[in-house]
Parts: sequence; C-alpha cells; structure tokens
Amino acid sequence: MKKTLAVLIIAVLMLSLVSACSSDSQSPAGDPTPNGSSTPAKRDEPVSEPVSEPVPESAPVSDFDSGRVIGVHTREDGSGTRDAFVSITGVGDDMYEEAVVLGSTNEILSAVGANEYAVGYISVGSLNNTVKALSIDGVLPSNATVKDGSYAIQRPFLICMSEEKLADPLVNDFISFMLSAQGQAQIGSSWTMIDESAPDYVSSGLTGALRVGGSTSVEPLMQKMREAYLALNGGVTIDISSTGSGDGINGATAGEYDIGMSSRELREAELESLTPVSIALDGVAVIVNTANPLEELTITQVKDIFTGEITRWSAVG
Amino acid sequence: MRAAFFMAALASIISVALICVFLLYQGLPTIFEIGPFKFLMGRLWRPTAQHSEPTFGILPMILGSIYVTGGAIALGVPIGLLTAVFMARVCPKPVYRFLKPAVNLMAGVPSVIYGFFGMMFLAPMIFDLFGERFDMVSGSTMLAASVLLGIMILPTVISIAETNIRAVPQELYEGAVALGASHERAVFKVVLPAARSGVMAAIVLGVGRAIGETMAVRMVAGNQTAMRMPYEFLKGVRTMTTNIVMEMNYVEYGSLHEGALIATGVVLFVFILLINLLFSTLNKGREKP
Repeated sequence: MKKTLAVLIIAVLMLSLVSACSSDSQSPAGDPTPNGSSTPAKRDEPVSEPVSEPVPESAPVSDFDSGRVIGVHTREDGSGTRDAFVSITGVGDDMYEEAVVLGSTNEILSAVGANEYAVGYISVGSLNNTVKALSIDGVLPSNATVKDGSYAIQRPFLICMSEEKLADPLVNDFISFMLSAQGQAQIGSSWTMIDESAPDYVSSGLTGALRVGGSTSVEPLMQKMREAYLALNGGVTIDISSTGSGDGINGATAGEYDIGMSSRELREAELESLTPVSIALDGVAVIVNTANPLEELTITQVKDIFTGEITRWSAVG
Repeated sequence: MRAAFFMAALASIISVALICVFLLYQGLPTIFEIGPFKFLMGRLWRPTAQHSEPTFGILPMILGSIYVTGGAIALGVPIGLLTAVFMARVCPKPVYRFLKPAVNLMAGVPSVIYGFFGMMFLAPMIFDLFGERFDMVSGSTMLAASVLLGIMILPTVISIAETNIRAVPQELYEGAVALGASHERAVFKVVLPAARSGVMAAIVLGVGRAIGETMAVRMVAGNQTAMRMPYEFLKGVRTMTTNIVMEMNYVEYGSLHEGALIATGVVLFVFILLINLLFSTLNKGREKP
C-alpha cells in the first residue's frame, strides 16, 4: 500500500516536472518563432525591393504587432538618469503612471531586452547589443553627437566637494588629474570628454587616502580614473563606493566622502554646501527591444510616450 | 555566566528599542509635517516634483502591500496547508525524508534568487499569456508578485502548520476513525480543527513574511505608484517596502522626501507590530486548552 503510494507520488512529481519543462520550452518557443518566420521575410524582401532595405537589421520582424501597448519603463524618483531625462525631454513631473519603475540600469536593460514592446532609457555608456538605441530627432546617441550637442538628451557627470575638502591638497591634486589630458583619456569611448585639449598632469608626489562615493553611473569611470591616478601616485589609496547620487551628495556634505559623485545636477540647497565639478558628459539613450522595427523618434514623441499621451506603437510609426 | 546570558538577551531588546526610537523620532515629525491624513490617505506620490508642489501620499503603497500579501495568502495558504496535512498525516516515510529537506531548502533560498526566477520566468510568462488580450505594459504585475510571494511563504506556512498538526493528540484521530470516519474525514474534520490556532499562527507568520518581503517583490511588481483596485491584478503595484528601498539611494539629504520614506517605514512597522500582536494572541489561545 505504502509502496504504491510512493510510486504514485513519484509519478506525479515527474509529471509536474515534465509539464514544467514543456511550459518552459513553450515560452522560448514563442520567441524563436518570430526569428524563424523573419528569415523567409528577409529572403523575400531583397527579391521584391533589393535596394530599399540596405540594413538587414531594419527589416521589420513580421511578428511585431504595432497595435500593442507601449511598455514604458522608467527609473525611480531621484535617479540621476531619470532627472536628466525628464528635464530634457519635457516629461517633467508628468511621468506616465503605468510606467514600470525599476531601480537600476541593469534592470532596465534586462526588462527591455525581454519585452518586445518595451521602451526605456539608460546611460549611453551602458548600451549593449541586447537592446536597440533609437535616434532622437534623427541623431543617434554616440560620443561625437553628445560632444557637439546635436544629441539632445545628455547630462554631466559631476563630482562635488565641500569647501573644507576643496582646501585639501590631495583632493585638489586628484581633481586636477581628472581634468587633465591623462585623466580625460580614461573617459575612452564609453562617455564623452569635456575637454580634449586639457593640460598634462604632473604628479606632485602627495600621499594619503581618499574616500569617493556616490552615483552608480559615474562609478565605472571613477574606477578607471583611480587606476590611472594610482599608477602615477603610488603613495595614495582611494576607496570608491557606488551607492547612488543622493548618497554621494549626502556623504560629501556630511564629510563621509572626500569627493561625492553625482549623475544629476545639484539642487539649490545642496549647492550651498558643495561645489560641483563636471568631469565628463554622458548621453541618455532611449532603448527598445531588438525585435522592434522602429529606428527613430522625435523628442516630442519621446515626451508623449513617457507622459502616456501615446500608448500604442502604431501611433509612432 | 548569567551576566553573559543577560547581556545577550539585552542586545536584542536594545536593538529593537533603538529601531523603534529611531523610526518614530525620524518618521513622526515628517508625518505631522505632511499631515497624517494627507500622508496615509493621499493618492499621489510625487516626491521630486519640480514644477508643482511635491506630494507624499502613500495610500497606493499601503493598498499595494495589502493586495500583494492577500494574493500571496490566497495562493500560498491552501497549498501550504494541504502540504502540511500531507506531510503530517498521509506521506509515507521515504517521501517525507525527501520532502522535509526540500521544504527546508525552500526557506533557505535567498529572496533575490526568487526575484530572479520571477523576473526571468514568471513575469514573461504572464506577459505572454495575457499581454495582448489585456493591453499590458509588462508582465511585472500584482499577479506576478502575488504568485511569487505565495511560493515564498510556503516553507513558513508548511513547517509551522505541520508542527501544529503533529502536536494534535493521536487519540483524537484514533477516536474519529473508531467512530467510523475515513482517514480523510478524520484528518480534515477532527485533526485540522483541533490544530486551528496553530494553523492560524502559520497563516499570520506567512502574512508577516509576505508584507515585509522587499527584494523579490521589487523585481516583479512593476513598482508603479498609481492607485489600484483589487481587480486590476494585471497591472503593477508598489508596496511600502519597495517604495523605501527604491528611492532611498538617491534621496536628497534631510529633505521631506527622505522623511517621507522613513515615515513609510513607520507605517510598515505598525503593520508588522499588529501582525505580531495577532500572532501572540493566537499563541495564547493555543496554550489555554
């Protein structure tokens, strides 16, 4: 009796496992199908109109249903990226209330990467090939377009110091390094330099310890700056914590950090105690799923999407 | 030696007391600055509004916590109780030897892992199933959060309910069977009612676990601050816990926004206190008979 029960239970367990697996293979099966059916579509197109589709990526995936609702994804209140995005696009305080709110760049990336009908925004430096960046008013986000200002959605990467810390020679030396040719060279291709003809930095041989903390967007750049600076100044140690712009500003005000990092502009109250210095520029890219045939939006359309005026993909082409 | 025990006991009491003092000291002034009614019953959460007056209404978050917890209870408690009954009264030994560690393991899985499961599997599945028909923005919804929390409270519900069902004297069961009841009837009509207060305690602890969960919920709930009705379970919600954790990193130091987040913590703390109070009354009720 007990044995038959055990066998029964094991059978049920195995069945549920099998059904779980089959439903598992069902949902990815939903994904490959569009790819599979897109291949014949791609093959068809060059035959009918060989010249009009020069970029294979832009061949519309047959499965994309532009009648579907736009999956708006945004960052949380207070995020530097959101701050810059809403003030430049004119979304302001009227963020669409159905927009999914996520707490980090990576969450936005994976959510937009997984949802064919999603749209979101992230730092240009964090773009990768799992999502597609859109042209805004005909300009693709890149270092060149951020630098010359033709790509409209951009923000400065700031460091901020209290007056007391500004008097510290080591803090000053590190700041002058970040603004020098060697420091700006660390910006590389991920972000945009503020000054390409910056003066050379000469090590002043200072020693000591620095505590830097704040914005998660600025932190990767700060790590590079730190490595390059330590290579020139062996006697210095620099601790970097990445805890968000707000914490960086608070920490710099409270003296917890020598240098605070912020990816949003300082507010008036904060400017009373802190001096901001811009060390690089960063664009904010509007991203969609790679299955989305859309390539371009105007800044007004971006505003309308993120305020909820436009809710379906068909309304933006 | 006694001193050492006393100190250890004191440490936990002091830390709870400190948390209480900190929360009330930091949170209460903000609640009165915003206005208790505006804060608790306000429907708009716009803490960083630049062009209009910032508003700090947490009613959507309070309701969000209640909905998500309610959903988790609706899904998790029946499954959990049936599992507990199975483990205590039906299950053959070899299966129990496998099932018990599995449930324990479930309790040990970090919530961020549950969150990943929800984000990678549950939410996309809900989006695939209902997205087109119901014009959904994303699969991250009240439903996803409820299902995920329903899974997460299972180990709490199962282990406490199982212990309490096992604690029911064997004579009750045997008496029922002797009177002609079938095994199922004896278990569901005699043993389970006898363990009622313990089962209630299991549910209450499950509620506590669900309402306090943060990381996993944040990853699947969508976190919209809009007011929701219970039937809008295919839309996203924000709970009190996720509200605090999402915005704390970027908050402006000493601002009303920061205070409002701490005040959200106060409200959450009151909820948890009520739940614990309920739990201890239920426990008292169990000791009497």
